[in-house]
Amino acid sequence: MIHLSHVSKSYKTSTRPALEDVTVDVGKGEFAFLIGPSGSGKSTFLRLLLREEAPDRGDMTVAGSDLTKIRRSKVPVHRRRIGCVFQDFRLLSNKTVSQNVGFALEVLGRNRNVVRRVVPEVLELVGLEGKANRLPHELSGGEQQRVAIARAFVNRPLLLLADEPTGNLDPDTSADIMLLLERINRTGTTVLMATHDNAIVDSMRRRVIELQLGKVVRDEDRGVYGVGR
Amino acid sequence: MRAGYVFSEVATGLRRNITMTIAMIITTAISLGLLGGGLLVARMTSHAEQLYGDRVQVDVFLTTEVSKNDPNCRNACLTLLDEMKANPDIEAVEYHSQEDAYQQYLEQYRGQPAMTEIVDKDTLPAFLRVRLKDPAKLAIVAEQYGRSPGVQQVTDQREVINRVFDVFTAVRNITLAIAVIQAIAALLLISNMVQIAAFTRRTETSIMRLVGASRWRTQLPFMIEAIVAGVVGSILAVLGLWAAKAWFIDKKLSGLFNSGVLPQITFGDFVFVTPILLGAGVLLAALSAYVTLRAYVRT
Repeated sequence: MIHLSHVSKSYKTSTRPALEDVTVDVGKGEFAFLIGPSGSGKSTFLRLLLREEAPDRGDMTVAGSDLTKIRRSKVPVHRRRIGCVFQDFRLLSNKTVSQNVGFALEVLGRNRNVVRRVVPEVLELVGLEGKANRLPHELSGGEQQRVAIARAFVNRPLLLLADEPTGNLDPDTSADIMLLLERINRTGTTVLMATHDNAIVDSMRRRVIELQLGKVVRDEDRGVYGVGR
Repeated sequence: MRAGYVFSEVATGLRRNITMTIAMIITTAISLGLLGGGLLVARMTSHAEQLYGDRVQVDVFLTTEVSKNDPNCRNACLTLLDEMKANPDIEAVEYHSQEDAYQQYLEQYRGQPAMTEIVDKDTLPAFLRVRLKDPAKLAIVAEQYGRSPGVQQVTDQREVINRVFDVFTAVRNITLAIAVIQAIAALLLISNMVQIAAFTRRTETSIMRLVGASRWRTQLPFMIEAIVAGVVGSILAVLGLWAAKAWFIDKKLSGLFNSGVLPQITFGDFVFVTPILLGAGVLLAALSAYVTLRAYVRT
């Protein structure tokens, strides 16, 4: 699902490369954590997967797209196979819960009947079936993140990227969100989650890829957040 | 892509930026109104050219000698007359004797003894009034007969007509120049409006990009917004021009129109100008929106 081979990426504004000689493989249906301190290259890693940036060197294939050769016009097609969740939810404040979820279908030109059928299904999956007509500010943080996950999942992506999805949530709510991501993972969707939350990483006992100063320093199958932490 | 969904986004966008939308519509309307005004003047000029062309005539004045000795046009005068009738460029020729010329003069200056007293029957020469098939050949014909025997002088109204046309051309050029300057202002304003619209909806567009909306899909609502404003602007421009014609030009210049000095602006002229202004409005809006968005909305 994710294949990176000797990938490097530098920014003009920095002397040190954001990612240096990174080689990572994540298979279909896997659940992996991407950890590391701020500035370690997690965000750059995710941006490369979404093709918001192009790598300077190395080969990378993500969700079936060869991102070193992909044409600009094909980038939107690539992104349709990937769902995204962020720390700050990124919901449209003037649209209701079901409109926010439907938005991902609408902009892809899905039929109105498909939108009407699929949106309630996904809202049920994330446990928001009674809140379809609420606006985001009427919801709790955990509920807003559920809406964001529903939106990311509504197109049934092959890969779900989550950038600190529990960063703004209390531990109990975070645990709920993790359960939800696990449930999505069980449908066959590969999940890659960048996080600082050691409690979550330690309790899940999933694969851990650790970045430091742009390099992969650890890649364990059933890892914990940090040795001695 | 569902049209209904796109248009509901467009309507929301226009409403949210209502002041900017109004400013853009007004600027577009003014610039297209001026453009339309320029086009109407241009059409008026070409109509006037026809109008005057039909009336252009050359008076070939005969020498005093011929005028006096050949009052019924039998000899030298007749040679000239026949020659002219055989000329393919000439539509019609009419002989006016010295007597005719005198009567016409008296008629023209009736009630002005100061003018009528200074001439008598022999003062004015006889002349041949020539009407041309093609007014453009006026110079050639004037040249040709100016040197013929028995001809004293050839006059035509070219100079007067040229002066009238110069005024028309100047008015048209000034109007078009202002229209161009206004169009640049409209272009910048549309670009500004699109930028503000794109900025206020940057969360929306960033989410659109994340879920894989194509560049076209992301930009379309903004472009349609600009085009809607452009079309409304051009419709207002046409209505404004029509109002200016009905309430101002037709009233103030009715004397000139009725006496046939100037051709009237017709409904047909508006049929000609309207699609041009609509097209220009759409093009202006679409072009500036497209260029702005290319620079502003990343993939």
